[in-house]
Amino acid sequence: MKQFAKDLPHYMLLGGILLAGFAGLVLFSYDIKFQAAVAIATAVSYTTWGIVHHYIHRDLHPEVIVEYAAVSLLGLVILFSLILR
Amino acid sequence: MKLLKLLAHLFVLHETNNQKAKVLHPSGLTLIAGFLIVFQLFLNVGSKAFPRVLGYAANISPSEVIRLTNVQRTANGLSPLNENGSLNGAAIAKGNDMLAKDYWAHFSPDGTSPWNFFLNFGYRYRYAGENLARDFGDATSAVNAWMNSPTHRDNILNPNYREIGIGVVEGDLAGVDTTIIVQFFGTPVNSEPISVVKAEEQPKGTAVPKPKATPLPATPTPTPVPQVAAVTPVPLPTPSIASFKFVSPFNSTKNLSMGVVGVLLLVLSVDLIVVRRRRIARIGGRTLAHIAFFGMILAVILILKAGQII
Repeated sequence: MKQFAKDLPHYMLLGGILLAGFAGLVLFSYDIKFQAAVAIATAVSYTTWGIVHHYIHRDLHPEVIVEYAAVSLLGLVILFSLILR
Repeated sequence: MKLLKLLAHLFVLHETNNQKAKVLHPSGLTLIAGFLIVFQLFLNVGSKAFPRVLGYAANISPSEVIRLTNVQRTANGLSPLNENGSLNGAAIAKGNDMLAKDYWAHFSPDGTSPWNFFLNFGYRYRYAGENLARDFGDATSAVNAWMNSPTHRDNILNPNYREIGIGVVEGDLAGVDTTIIVQFFGTPVNSEPISVVKAEEQPKGTAVPKPKATPLPATPTPTPVPQVAAVTPVPLPTPSIASFKFVSPFNSTKNLSMGVVGVLLLVLSVDLIVVRRRRIARIGGRTLAHIAFFGMILAVILILKAGQII
């Protein structure tokens, strides 16, 4: 809990990224190209957030980058399968 | 017993999976992504192989689309639109043309514009517009989607229009059984000038406004209305409405995605609790961040609906 409180600014930024992604995907549901762009931007931003967060914590390893990239890839595949139907 | 061990290996942190559920490893996540891609390919192939099984079923009444459109207009202080038989025929012809030539656009691949259908049915217009929708389960969802899109909303709430025609057609579009709604708006060229037309739109020194169409959304300015010879009225075909059940590709994808993300969120939550209680130190991403990311994905899955509009 102490660690979470210390990292609160990081998680607030993450919340902003995810909220912006959610809003973009829902509000622009009539524009498929824009939705696809928002999905890509959100996935890339999430991986970038993870890399920067762990870099600041001095625990950035290749495994960590691969894990964030895999999570983002899976999220992107799910969103694309629904958007580009 | 072996099955239990396998399930524990896949979904619970354990010494066999390096204190992290196997599905949360990058290899596990990538495998799930690959499975979802294969599932999509199967849906695409399946929709072509079994066109009467996979598709979008709908029971949309053209009169209901007109009623809902007029509800929106009257709510915004505009006069309701009158249903026009020629516009209905033109809209149905446009829908059938999309199915026959397999395109989903305002203009056909051979360059045929929506306005050609107006003229083919003898409808000489002063103003004209088009909205398209597909894969909606009911009229309300389609009209709501149009109202949420600025350009389509402008069409529905355009004070220049006086008449409306709706075509609801069902058939194979790009290998998937689809219900298309074509919404045509128009004002006949021989109608009296509309008082709300802005002065700058009226040519100086002429009593009758120059023929002009306002195609929306994102369609080029049409050419002035040509003189059309008398057109034999074409009997309006009855809209083909699906009367049988389909397996919807969108709903199948949505349900599978919900299941996958739901399981991942459950596994991540268990992981978060157990790692904190046991104070396990390991190299890896932040579980809480992954929960937030997949939570956002789940929220999007729950909100996204099947229909598309252009």
